[in-house]
Amino acid sequence: MNLNRLFFTVCVGYATTTIFGQSIPFQTDSIPMLDLEEVVVTATRSNRQLSSLPLPMTLVSAEKIRESGTVRLNEILNEQTGITTVVDESGFEGLQIQGIASDYILILIDGVPLVGRSAGNFDLSRLTVGNIEQVEVVKGPSSSLYGSEALGGVVNIITKKPTAEKFTGNASYRYGSNTQQDLNLQFQQRIDRLRYVFFANRFSSGGYDLDSDTEGLTVNPFSNYTFNNRIYYDLNKHVSLFSSLRFYSQEQDAGGIVNDKSYVGDSKEQEWNAHLRLDQHWNEKLSVQYELYFTDYNARELVSDPVDNEVLNDSEYDQVLLRPEIRGAYDFDDNGKITAGVGYQLDQLDRTFFDGQVAFNSQYFYAQYDFDPIRKLNTIVGVRFDIHSEYASQFSPKLAARYKLNEAFNLKGSVGYGFKAPDFRQLYFDFTNSTVGYTVFGYNVAGQKLQDLEAQGQISSIVVSSSDMETPLEAESSIGYNLGIGYKKGLWGAELNLFRNDFKNLIDTRIIARKTNGQNVFSYVNFEEILTTGGELNASYKLNESIHLSAGYQLLYTQDKTQWQQVKAGGIFARDPATNQTVAITRSDYFGLVNRSRHHANFKVFYDIPAIGANANFRLMYRSKYALYDTNGNGLIDPYDSSYVNGFLMANLSATKTFFKDFDLQIGANNLFDHTDPNIPTQPGRQLYLTLNYKF
Amino acid sequence: MKKITIFLLATVVTFISCSDDDNGQDIVPIQSKNISNLAAPQTGGQGEPVGGPFTKFDFATGMVTTSETDWDIAFRGTTIAVNGGAITGTTDEPIRNGDSGASIQTGTFASVVSADGLTYAQDADGSFAIPTGSDNGWYNYNPQVNVITAIPGKVLVFRTRDNRYAKVEILSYYKDAPEEPDGFVHESRFYTFNYVYNPNLGETTLE
Repeated sequence: MNLNRLFFTVCVGYATTTIFGQSIPFQTDSIPMLDLEEVVVTATRSNRQLSSLPLPMTLVSAEKIRESGTVRLNEILNEQTGITTVVDESGFEGLQIQGIASDYILILIDGVPLVGRSAGNFDLSRLTVGNIEQVEVVKGPSSSLYGSEALGGVVNIITKKPTAEKFTGNASYRYGSNTQQDLNLQFQQRIDRLRYVFFANRFSSGGYDLDSDTEGLTVNPFSNYTFNNRIYYDLNKHVSLFSSLRFYSQEQDAGGIVNDKSYVGDSKEQEWNAHLRLDQHWNEKLSVQYELYFTDYNARELVSDPVDNEVLNDSEYDQVLLRPEIRGAYDFDDNGKITAGVGYQLDQLDRTFFDGQVAFNSQYFYAQYDFDPIRKLNTIVGVRFDIHSEYASQFSPKLAARYKLNEAFNLKGSVGYGFKAPDFRQLYFDFTNSTVGYTVFGYNVAGQKLQDLEAQGQISSIVVSSSDMETPLEAESSIGYNLGIGYKKGLWGAELNLFRNDFKNLIDTRIIARKTNGQNVFSYVNFEEILTTGGELNASYKLNESIHLSAGYQLLYTQDKTQWQQVKAGGIFARDPATNQTVAITRSDYFGLVNRSRHHANFKVFYDIPAIGANANFRLMYRSKYALYDTNGNGLIDPYDSSYVNGFLMANLSATKTFFKDFDLQIGANNLFDHTDPNIPTQPGRQLYLTLNYKF
Repeated sequence: MKKITIFLLATVVTFISCSDDDNGQDIVPIQSKNISNLAAPQTGGQGEPVGGPFTKFDFATGMVTTSETDWDIAFRGTTIAVNGGAITGTTDEPIRNGDSGASIQTGTFASVVSADGLTYAQDADGSFAIPTGSDNGWYNYNPQVNVITAIPGKVLVFRTRDNRYAKVEILSYYKDAPEEPDGFVHESRFYTFNYVYNPNLGETTLE
């Protein structure tokens, strides 16, 4: 990679925004300081105390991230109750919240979306935690504010706005097992009305192998860079400008041996995010934000034989998203706040297996009213309307309320609608497997493509009638319910949240035609209805000023509703491997959806000794067994399937000591018990690391 | 050679059949057997034209046969032919000269107790009585692990060439019926199945 060019581009972006900023006058910081209470923005799009919200939320602070010694976002989120990372059958890793897969979880950075997914999974290891102020996770449908993809929840990565006039920063280097190296440089300053932050990160790993029986490594060596510079400029007392430019680039070795033939090549990822926002405070009550956001995610893989130049894989994926949005907030004197926004989104994708570039555009508006109808009762009512070029308009309402029973107890409840637009692949894919010979068509192109294949004499029979593909594919949608009770008194804190998410119109593949080679032609259709339900319990206890204990547990049940009905009717069978004979699957045999563990638990101890500038912690995470896919052909997971991944315990610990005031030395171990499983390729064995951080 | 084991002789049926016999004709006991490793080789496949002779099976003898006439069902790869209807058009297939038919029922093997009232499909030009292809007939193919599995709960009920009835549950497609077949390791095209055969003309009881 050409590092010089990269630095140059980042700096140009920086310079442009600075010049633009200089022509305009001054302001002071208008965000009020909300003491030590944890403040979040994702749930309502305005600053709210975490403890006062009627929605289930998880907040991870920079301090916790630092103390835990994590370097990528997936690591720290995986330690939170009710949030887990899962490698699905595609081999890619994504997040799961309340049993809802990564496809249905929106990932934001400073409130704007990140794009670029692999088979629906957003790879959170793409994101370094080095420049994060906090991570906010809203659980349950949030489409009333964020539109498509926010069914299972929203993860919002918040960066920090510098406050000090002094030039400050930090530089850190970490070395760990598998020659993992993490290098960070950040500096920031406030000069009069201008504030800036510059951040750079390099992360690399020598890769690792979990399965010595198979050729090659489980994870090949890679290295990546992240640059982010942000400018904040106060034009005057009422108007301020924010701009952020982020660049990410990764290169990973993708060569290997296939059928005794050796291939070389690499896969590259590149991502740009440009975010520009003008904040205007008209008066005490009214504020307006004008936002423009652009992102481009590009992934490319080229693998070929160096001798005869035979190409094993040559694929490209390039997604662009452009989104201007205006939103305003109005504070009523007595009580209540209205937030409303309007925006336009252009989403464009060009990739291998598409005929050409495809683009979606949508317009949307949303409004939210946050008020206390009676004393002790806080209510949030929100709606959003999305008009989309490819599918029916979506109306997404949400209602949430929190009632303060007394000083110690509060009750929370919310119900909301979430949706996910059919993605590009589901609409425009044109893929034929070269070795096996099956074909997959996107819904919108299937009719025409099928005619083409028929004209070429490749189709033996068409299974669905053409009228079945005339009505547009519908958005996948869900209704989520959350009901919780919170307790906080003295040294104790506890929260219980019960949840239920009913999904409908889930999109899956079906056979639309049979080919003369005996293989099938697949396309997409809305048909599945699923349910995820369960409960989450979090408790924390402050043993003393130094020791903080916390524990969390999630119980999860999931089902495909059609399958459940079939099981209830006694219509599902499996083969008992011991006798090979058929047995009927009973209700208690039904294990729910793939990749879902019934039990998740964690236990953490954070020990802080300020007197000697040291802290240490121990985090224990448990996940019960889950199944990867149906192995016995009945389409569901039952005790006779053989793809179960055994439950496991993950133990991480780290200790930090400050030396000479400005140096932090951290030593840690992840996966202390050295648990590995070839079914979890993203989980390396025991990793030891040493980090040196210098603050200036 | 193929090993044919008799794993259960339904002696109970013998006693029942003695009790209530209206025309005095001797009722032959119902036969319940297990066939292991019936080899069903084929040539071609994977995009190439499929060929090779079918392995023919006769319920009356409970054995594989090379007879052109005295067979009820026949196997080649994942394809099952019946001795009834017409030739399908595939290469090397046997001539149909009986009245065999097939009906796919859903349930455990024990739950299918009668062959009465079912609709029996026969082979025809371009199609088999038991449809070919993954999830269409008796098997499922999982391309991720390259394994053919007999779909559980699929009981194949056959009318034989001479109007007797049998039910079949295919247990495995791999040699020696491994508990967890590995498509890249275990040898395929070896059928293991249980069957119950009622040797009495027109009798539909299958338990």
